[in-house]
Amino acid sequence: MSNAQITVLFFSFAADRMNAREKIYELSTPVSIQEFFHKNLSASLKEPLESWLFSVNEEWVDPQYHLRPGDALAVVPPVSGG
Amino acid sequence: MDYYLVTEDSIDITESLTMIDDPRTGAQAIFLGTVRNEYNGRQSLGLYYDAYPAMAHARIKKIGEALKQDFAISHVVIIHRIGELPVGAASVLVAVSAPHREAAFAAAKAGIDRVKQEVPIWKKEHWADGPSEWHDDPSHSGNIK
Repeated sequence: MSNAQITVLFFSFAADRMNAREKIYELSTPVSIQEFFHKNLSASLKEPLESWLFSVNEEWVDPQYHLRPGDALAVVPPVSGG
Repeated sequence: MDYYLVTEDSIDITESLTMIDDPRTGAQAIFLGTVRNEYNGRQSLGLYYDAYPAMAHARIKKIGEALKQDFAISHVVIIHRIGELPVGAASVLVAVSAPHREAAFAAAKAGIDRVKQEVPIWKKEHWADGPSEWHDDPSHSGNIK
């Protein structure tokens, strides 16, 4: 993968709505998760930003986090294990 | 010993109890979650568990370490099974050993409560009378809280 790409992981119903568990996106300019979400994800995911948790490289982050090339962003629905 | 696992394999209860065994302890408490045949009165054929495996494992380990800080326990094992599970299968195990039963019971309860709230695992209900639905999906048919 090139230096200007990020990987986005989807789980549960987020994966169903994106029709993918993993997608690669080009990062032309540095953007926050919030900006990235509205530009690339919100139309398919349907639920608002506040409905999701986000992690980058397996650490929880807030939507103001600025994505960097090579990051693995996970879109995490409310959990329901047990 | 302490042990944390997210796995597609069935949970080995006997092995889990062996891992928390310790002659200095006089109590072992085990919580076992199993797949139910109904949810809110609607018949279910089983559950599919999705997970973010690396984060789920890290979070389960963190919960176990916190239990050892918060309660007077000696050992803890937390295992969550993922994938397709039929009715009756064990989906999650929290086992702790302690010198005394009060701490063992309290830690096992706190452990399963935290697992259900904090670990990135999601379940999909396979209804007997309709399409399968994720428990966390806001667009579900209304049977799931």
